Amino acid sequence: MMSYLEEHYELIHKTPRLFALHVTREQLLDTLHQITTHTSFDTLSQLTCTDWIEEERFELGYMLTNALRSHNLMLKCSIARDKVTMPSLALLFAQAEVMERELHEMFGIGFEGNETLYDFALEGWCDIPPMRREFDTLAYVNAHYDFREGREDNLDVKEEIKKRKAAAKSAKETPSGA
Amino acid sequence: MERKVITIYHGPQHPGITGNMSVELDLMGETITRARTHVGYLHRGFEKLIERRTIIQAFTIVCRICVPEPDPNEANFALAVERLAGIEVSERASYIRVMVLEMARLGAQLLWMAGQSGSVGLGTVGQWSIYDRDLILDLFEQLTGGRVYHMYIYPGGVRRELPDGFLERLSALLDYLQKRLDAYDRLFFDNASFQKRAIGVGVVRGEEVLRRGFSGQVLRGCGFARDLRRDNPYLLYDQLEFDIPTQSAGDVYARALVRRAEMRESIRILRQVIAQMPEEGAIMQKLPKHRKFTLPKEDTYVAVESARGEFGYYMAGDGSEMIRRMQVKGPSLIHAFSLLEPLLVGEELSNVALIMNSLGICPPEIER
Amino acid sequence: MDEGFIPYQQSLEDEEQSIKSTQSVIEQAIAWFRAHSMFVLAYGTGCGAIEMPPTFTSRYDIERLGVVGVATPRQADILIVSGYCSPKTLKRVIRSYEQMSEPKYIIGLGSCTINGGMYWDSYNTIKKLDDFLPVDMYVNGCMPRPEALIEGFVKLQEKIRANSSEAGYIQYRTRYAHYRANQERLFGTQVQPRYEENFAGMNL
Repeated sequence: MMSYLEEHYELIHKTPRLFALHVTREQLLDTLHQITTHTSFDTLSQLTCTDWIEEERFELGYMLTNALRSHNLMLKCSIARDKVTMPSLALLFAQAEVMERELHEMFGIGFEGNETLYDFALEGWCDIPPMRREFDTLAYVNAHYDFREGREDNLDVKEEIKKRKAAAKSAKETPSGA
Repeated sequence: MERKVITIYHGPQHPGITGNMSVELDLMGETITRARTHVGYLHRGFEKLIERRTIIQAFTIVCRICVPEPDPNEANFALAVERLAGIEVSERASYIRVMVLEMARLGAQLLWMAGQSGSVGLGTVGQWSIYDRDLILDLFEQLTGGRVYHMYIYPGGVRRELPDGFLERLSALLDYLQKRLDAYDRLFFDNASFQKRAIGVGVVRGEEVLRRGFSGQVLRGCGFARDLRRDNPYLLYDQLEFDIPTQSAGDVYARALVRRAEMRESIRILRQVIAQMPEEGAIMQKLPKHRKFTLPKEDTYVAVESARGEFGYYMAGDGSEMIRRMQVKGPSLIHAFSLLEPLLVGEELSNVALIMNSLGICPPEIER
Repeated sequence: MDEGFIPYQQSLEDEEQSIKSTQSVIEQAIAWFRAHSMFVLAYGTGCGAIEMPPTFTSRYDIERLGVVGVATPRQADILIVSGYCSPKTLKRVIRSYEQMSEPKYIIGLGSCTINGGMYWDSYNTIKKLDDFLPVDMYVNGCMPRPEALIEGFVKLQEKIRANSSEAGYIQYRTRYAHYRANQERLFGTQVQPRYEENFAGMNL
């Protein structure tokens, strides 16, 4: 099973049971087809997305697993953040449909060929897709919800530590000065 | 005569639903002709919140991702951070982790039993099994200070030493539960009224179930002995002896029988843990300070076997003290959509709660 | 097991003080009956739902206070909002609450209903339940233990027996414009039908 992958792809060994390999958007469907037919990695178990905003790309991860559930292989595919569509895998794997639907909502990635890209978890969301890095959840909260007065733990930790140190210092100095 | 299709919502406010979610059903008489799952009632944006928190801050909220069984979340989080940061955990801490995970599994199975029996109208089973689960929660309280959320398995080890006499009390509880399991057999699993409702309902079968990404009791109920504790071992499970129970029928009753046997296996594992746990040893590794605790720019995937199936975390670091991306993969996402929707078609309306409970669908882990 | 029993015992002993003498005997009797038959609609909106089964079953056995779970809002007196509410859930909670018949009360369970709790910076949970619905009793904690929930019920019993005009359902009628405005601000165009129509002919 591993020999085929070793021969044809640049395999990255992450752990003895977890491998990764990089593909481009154009190669993805072909590679998936090759791997599912020639190796035992034939199940899609997760579809991940990481937003590398400083590099202007999304990194999609197609996690494949084998029938014995003993090894995992991750196909990584980077796409530009601005024109974001991917081919849908719904015809290859039934479970891809709902995973793509979730990523569509959370990152705004379009999947060509998936008919079910309507609301998943959010209802009537009209802001930036929330999992993108530029979406600031605290700013959204401040704009849309009211906090109860008296809630004080919403503080900057660094500043508070500085303040407390300064307070402890002045408390120390006062008795010696007096 | 014209036959009319009516559409109803089963949930989110419904006693027969497994949490805050709903299934939209098209009914022809009592028979379901189409089912669509709706989620999102519990979406909190955990993955966004974790991107804004340091590792120690994120640790406190991960256990809230799945409520009935929070400990696999903590274990996953700890395993992923340790793998990325290159931390080794002591043997004693690993044993304590296995113990916590198995206790949580037992508790989750007992809670499932209450839901499953409630869905066929057997109220007594719930009164018993929730009581027994509470005894496990009492032990958790002694160990961690919390009944439901423990925040105990921390990257680098576990947070607290075992209290005095804890293993003896655990051992006594296992003796008690062992006896109770026989009583549950008589009360619930061998009960004709449960068998009549459960046998032949919600059948999942065939070779393609493996390709569709199912896990847990769904696979074991139709004859595939898949269990990550054996197939892709983590912690110390490769050193412990246990069987993977399977059934071949693939219906609700088969999944119930699998869970019945799994409870006995959990007790067996816990007894080995009690016997083998080293008496001395560090439970916590020395970790970097709060703001210096960073993850390299790498990613990894870890998975544990929860009481419902494969529970995995994908985690990517970016060199800072925040986690760049943590994505949760619970078994319920696939089970609630690509399994439940076709499975309900052709079933009676009264079987919806029965089937949902037997798949162990847990909405908070679907949408996080 | 005597958890939760002690506050209840005390409330029985302090009974005389808690009842206002302004009530007539009949009113007092009705309030007493109400306080001892609380039908609960447990809407598991969040994590709090996991501590409900222990509270309602044999170990903590809240039925001894006259608390029973029911399946439909039409039969319920008390709505337990058990945890954080996303806007999507809140719409359904408001709908369930408005379907209940009066007198009706709300218990908010968990820190997240009070001030957002753990999810203070989450874009999809509300931070203050009492902006949208009149909450009669908050039980804090994450999670609140069953004992805390029982004590919440005992306190609510006192409130029911006091039969004051401060009760949530009366507030919801008289200050409906305030609650409605908050709901409209959050939900925008997806707002629910107006509740006012239900009590159009009533003398407020």
